[in-house]
Amino acid sequence: MTAPIESDIDIWNDDILVDPYPTYAALRERAGVVHLPKNDLYVLTRYDIIRDALGDPETFSSTSIGFNPMVNEALQGTSLASDPPTHTQLRATLSQNLTPRALRGLKVTIDEKADKLVAELAASGSFEAIDSLARAFPIEIVADLIGFSGHVKDNMLRWGQAAMQVIGPLNQRTQESFPIAGELYGWCSSVTAEDLTPGSIGRGIFDAETRGDIPEGSAGHIIHQYLGAGVDTTIAAIGNIVALFGRHPEQFELVRKNPELVPAAFAEVLRYWAPVHIWGRKATRDVEIDGVTIPAGAQVGILFGAGNRDPRHYENPDTFDVTRNPVDHLSFGYGPHGCAGQGLAKLEAHAVIEALARRVKTLTISDEVREPSNITRSLESLLVEKVVAA
Amino acid sequence: MRIELDRPRCEGHGLCEEAAPALMHLDDDGELVIDVPEVDGAGLDAAKAAVRVCPVAALRLAAA
Repeated sequence: MTAPIESDIDIWNDDILVDPYPTYAALRERAGVVHLPKNDLYVLTRYDIIRDALGDPETFSSTSIGFNPMVNEALQGTSLASDPPTHTQLRATLSQNLTPRALRGLKVTIDEKADKLVAELAASGSFEAIDSLARAFPIEIVADLIGFSGHVKDNMLRWGQAAMQVIGPLNQRTQESFPIAGELYGWCSSVTAEDLTPGSIGRGIFDAETRGDIPEGSAGHIIHQYLGAGVDTTIAAIGNIVALFGRHPEQFELVRKNPELVPAAFAEVLRYWAPVHIWGRKATRDVEIDGVTIPAGAQVGILFGAGNRDPRHYENPDTFDVTRNPVDHLSFGYGPHGCAGQGLAKLEAHAVIEALARRVKTLTISDEVREPSNITRSLESLLVEKVVAA
Repeated sequence: MRIELDRPRCEGHGLCEEAAPALMHLDDDGELVIDVPEVDGAGLDAAKAAVRVCPVAALRLAAA
């Protein structure tokens, strides 16, 4: 056993959050596990190590997925923050409405909505892509899915952003976001079946609670997780699609000419720019990785984006290549806690990419703006200066 | 080797079917059916690919 490699960086430094890939490369080349004393954290940086840790909940517990004690306390009893065997039932309850088989009926509606929105934007000559597409589309889909409208829909963006932000360390961003995340929690604690559209999935969750199929009081928690986890991340991914197609017109052209590349293109967008920077685990025992010991009880941080660019796993990892089809990318996590909403995320993103490929001939982007954010890496604004409709 | 499915964990994402269509498929209800549980040779390579792509680690290979 050797002393752990240390780095004196703050992984939540503003500059690193906006452009983390040079830092990820430097950490990854030093070691698969790097101790960050400033953050009291051990980060995992290489593909195989990350995937093994995600597949080993006995050693890497989800009781500390967040990086401050308040958020971990607040998440107690959710599937997100629990370990098997408790996790297994909670996860089944959460995911039964999100599995590909449950979502099959939504595909036609989602495809139609994406096509209509993208066709309007393509005809407009130029547009701001984040508000008008990356945010507008998933918010509409999730609002329909859960069955709400009005003030709740208006709050979804800030609630969803805050719910991710508070998973970070107790920095200013987290402290400012706690009251907003509290608004979301408050709404989810008081929402009733009558508040939600008949026939929606949200209404169905309450009906399941009434029937006794899921534990009493769990419907509000499930809706909280859909909103907390499903908004900010999908917004990030859809914004990244437009930005990466804008930066790499030859790659967009490949997708336009070969629509069967749509799933591969989305997997590559997720691999190339992970929507989630970092996610936590707690070491349940002294665990040795590459000769370095992570002590029992230590906070661990999983750097999905670092693993996704590991040259030990992907050839030319810093190249954006829509023909790569990296189905094993780490951006949805992996294993028992693998993203429960990945089926819905794919439906939404594939619909957007198909619509872009069908409706847009070329697009020119500028003014890519990113704001530092603790957990989600997304664009704040992105101008499509010129779009030529197909 | 034998393909083993952790049924409660499977959520029907279907990536295994794409990786190994000759060995498994999702039925009309979206439930995974292992058509060829015992594999060797080329089948083993496909089975390994299917195990590898399962996003929730519901598949594994065990000694037959």
